[in-house]
Amino acid sequence: MSQNELLALLPLILVVGLAMAVVIIDIVLPDRDDLISAIASGGLIVTLIVIAVCGPLPGGVGLLPREGVQLFVDSSGSGVIVRDQLTAFLDLTFVVIALLSLLFAVDYLKPRGLPMAEFTATLLFAISGAMVLGSGRDLLILFLGLELLVLPGYMLAGYAKRDGLSTEGAIKYFLLGSFSSAIFLFGLALVLGFTGSTRVAAIADVLAGVAAGNAPLSLGLAMGLALLTTGVAFKIAAVPFHYWTPDAYQGSPTPVTGYLSVGPKIAAFALILRLFVDALAPLKADWLPFVIVLAATTMTLGNLVAVTQDNIKRMLAYSSIAHTGYMLVGLAAYAGAAAGSPAEAQGLEALLFYGAIYSFMNLGAFACVAALQRRPGVTSQIASFAGLGRRAPLLGVAMTLFMLSLTGIPPTAGFFAKALVIIAAVNTGGWVAFLAVLMMLNAAAAAFYYLRVVVYMYMREAPDGARPVSIGNFTRAGLIVSAALTVVIGVVPPVTTAVIDMAREAARALL
Amino acid sequence: MDLTGLPLLTGVIFTPLIGALLIAFVPREREALTRWLALGTALVTFAISLLLLPGFDPAATGFQYVETADWIPAFGIQYKLGLDGISLVLVVLTTTLSWISILASFGPIKSRLKEFMISFLILEVGMIGVFLALDLFLFYIFWEVVLVPMYLIIGIWGGANRIYATLKFVLYTLIGSLLMLVAILAAAFSFQAATGSWAGAFDFEQLRGFGFDPTLQFLAFGAFFLAFAIKVPMFPFHTWLPDAHVEAPTAGSVILAGVLLKLGGYGFIRFCLPLFPQAAHEWAPLIIVLSLIAIIYGAIVAMVQPDLKKLVAYSSVSHMGFVTLGIFIFQPQGMQGAILQMVNHGIITGALFLCVGVIYERTHDRTIAKMGGLAAPTPVYAAIFGFFMLASLGLPGLGGFVGEFLVFLGTFDYSPIAAAIASIVVILGAAYLMWMYQRVVFGELSDFLKGLGHHLTDVTPQELVTLTPLIALTLAFGVAPGLILDLIQMPVGEVLARVGGPLTGAAP
Repeated sequence: MSQNELLALLPLILVVGLAMAVVIIDIVLPDRDDLISAIASGGLIVTLIVIAVCGPLPGGVGLLPREGVQLFVDSSGSGVIVRDQLTAFLDLTFVVIALLSLLFAVDYLKPRGLPMAEFTATLLFAISGAMVLGSGRDLLILFLGLELLVLPGYMLAGYAKRDGLSTEGAIKYFLLGSFSSAIFLFGLALVLGFTGSTRVAAIADVLAGVAAGNAPLSLGLAMGLALLTTGVAFKIAAVPFHYWTPDAYQGSPTPVTGYLSVGPKIAAFALILRLFVDALAPLKADWLPFVIVLAATTMTLGNLVAVTQDNIKRMLAYSSIAHTGYMLVGLAAYAGAAAGSPAEAQGLEALLFYGAIYSFMNLGAFACVAALQRRPGVTSQIASFAGLGRRAPLLGVAMTLFMLSLTGIPPTAGFFAKALVIIAAVNTGGWVAFLAVLMMLNAAAAAFYYLRVVVYMYMREAPDGARPVSIGNFTRAGLIVSAALTVVIGVVPPVTTAVIDMAREAARALL
Repeated sequence: MDLTGLPLLTGVIFTPLIGALLIAFVPREREALTRWLALGTALVTFAISLLLLPGFDPAATGFQYVETADWIPAFGIQYKLGLDGISLVLVVLTTTLSWISILASFGPIKSRLKEFMISFLILEVGMIGVFLALDLFLFYIFWEVVLVPMYLIIGIWGGANRIYATLKFVLYTLIGSLLMLVAILAAAFSFQAATGSWAGAFDFEQLRGFGFDPTLQFLAFGAFFLAFAIKVPMFPFHTWLPDAHVEAPTAGSVILAGVLLKLGGYGFIRFCLPLFPQAAHEWAPLIIVLSLIAIIYGAIVAMVQPDLKKLVAYSSVSHMGFVTLGIFIFQPQGMQGAILQMVNHGIITGALFLCVGVIYERTHDRTIAKMGGLAAPTPVYAAIFGFFMLASLGLPGLGGFVGEFLVFLGTFDYSPIAAAIASIVVILGAAYLMWMYQRVVFGELSDFLKGLGHHLTDVTPQELVTLTPLIALTLAFGVAPGLILDLIQMPVGEVLARVGGPLTGAAP
């Protein structure tokens, strides 16, 4: 194995190694929760640095060549695993997600007597699955990554095993998750059967022939593609494949919910990029209408239902469905643009940028809920937030910031995320431009329920006997990081530009 | 004093932000320090805005004091500021009303003083920024920056029904502004598609000469129109205004009526007309009809309001109708009148809300029916209130008259019928304002007010300090409207040259 190949796999090796180290340390030195958290967060920070050092990142940062490295290359010159700018961008996102989820979980799990080590290890394994998804160029590798991602997810959802709601949510998540994995696998088998390869590059070649009219689109292949699409739609919780989300989100321990609302979602979008944009690109005009309808229904339904929720976890669950819709607008902008046009890259760039921003602002919002629930017995009803602005000023300011950013009010990072998606959609034009208008109307509707939280925090008095909220150190650190990211990416121009550049180069790596 | 080379515009925008940051570090119990720091910041901002006057050349075309810096080069987004006579007048109006409002909230705001002052100063950043931004993206950001502090000011320090009012205010405004964002991006993109580069795609000075495709113009104008019409507010988008005014604290009402409504009128003149001239002509007849409806409807509804603040709020709908009417007849007198009307309405209505605030501070009530006979116990107050009442109904010699008169003049050129319809409102205006004044000030002291006993005091020196400058300005602009007209003549001419007026065709 050459040096470059080793470097390409190093971040993944580090995360898996860290997960195993956590398991071993827990056996040797049981019940040392703080040690485990410190090692895991330290290890993830090291991983972040390693990813930056390996690259490839824009401006020639990183040891690896700009065009990326392919591993296990076959005779046609395409590999099974690739490390390009897209992989690096996604890896950074995933590791930040893992790090923040970890920081937010410590102070929540401890008072409930839930073990930290198992949580950490499971989370790290899940993230390694996400990283595999971000780098796979073979259907089997992608499926492997997908399962490695979701299986720990089921465990995490049911982590509070004595809690009925948690178990219920986990079972729903597990059943629908396995169901969708099976659908995906079946689609994969059909595609393999009708194209003769599991390699993404080879499938793209066959489909390019179909698109050019050289070969007919056989019924089996079409079915395979449809099943793959359905499987992925389940994973990103697009309407009408979203039914598992609210229960799974509400039942899971709050930090887990935070993770579930971003980790698997961004990972599934990584799968979409690797699968749809890479393999199915020749047929994109055919799946464009599907994406448009999916985006429109997903954001609209997600928002409409979120408006009526009184439980904040459920509200954030439905709103995360809406955000899926916004990200799909980016995909639609890509699919609707002429092949090779700048609009194509812009759609993907917007999707990636949105995903990254959404990750930490949504995690931050869940972290505020988790911090509030640190003392067991506090419900996630929105009424728990009454008077929070006075009871816990830091939490109030942070939550307000995340709510404004999720709404898309400038100058937060969330605003730029929405702006990029709209630029891309308008750029592509046609029905996709209509999606941009629909998206903005949705954002206005979303303002209602996001600002409602602010109303409770600042405009209603705390109930009598409300106890002060104490925030743990880990949570405080995580909140400061995610709030700082939300503000800095919005306010400091060089940072905004740098993140946009990273997303752009990552998108170009795919085209 | 040589001020060339100093980034005065950046200074005037961000001075309040510095004040807000300073206040954030003041301990909560030091309330006096917080108050004076806020007032001091607002006064410094006011002083900086006055510094703009000596160096401003009213005869020059284009923008002055321009500052440019790259912001997000990938999309050609710039930090670009500049001002012409129209923005100058409105910036000074903003800085004036801001310090007056902060002073006026010294007494009434008792809880969470620190947060109030911070919100208020950030609000000032947004308002001034909107008037000075020459990059559409930057403009949009300032436009939204205005939203959040106002949302908090109404929602936290407002009346009983404040949460409903503030959410309504935010949602109305957001729907308009988010669609405007789509339109801004679409316009920038179409510029990029035509020139092949993002450079200057958000630059107002580049875009206004660009000549957008007619369909895009029509749609983008619609989106901009919605955002601005909600802000003005034009009939039928005005329903948030009475709610917001009734619930807002006095300082919030003053700024809402005095500056926030002007953001809409300014947006029409600065962006809508020069960017989409062709669409402006297509939309103008509809807008003129809506303006006429607003003028009359606002006045009629104001007549029957039982609540003082609601009455003033509906009178705003009526008065702002003159502004949109004056703008959309595309004719010099009309547009100059519209701008004068914006400034004078800002001063007079702001003052009327202060007057209502004075009563409310003493009675904790605003119901007209409970008032009566204020002339005897509070003669100074009665005189000041009367002065602004007369100014508001357009008494010649006071500020309110000239603007309306110029709009009439312009409208008469375009359509005598429309002018006749609009002039009815002068009678209506006199009716509802004088009737209100009569019920509140004249006659026997009402039982309700008698019950207050010695609490019913005349205006305090502090209240006098807030009202006197507004009296002076009302008189000054009434007697010498040239003070403003000289500044706005040139930019109005430029806007009209781009939009191509006057409006012709069938009068509505």
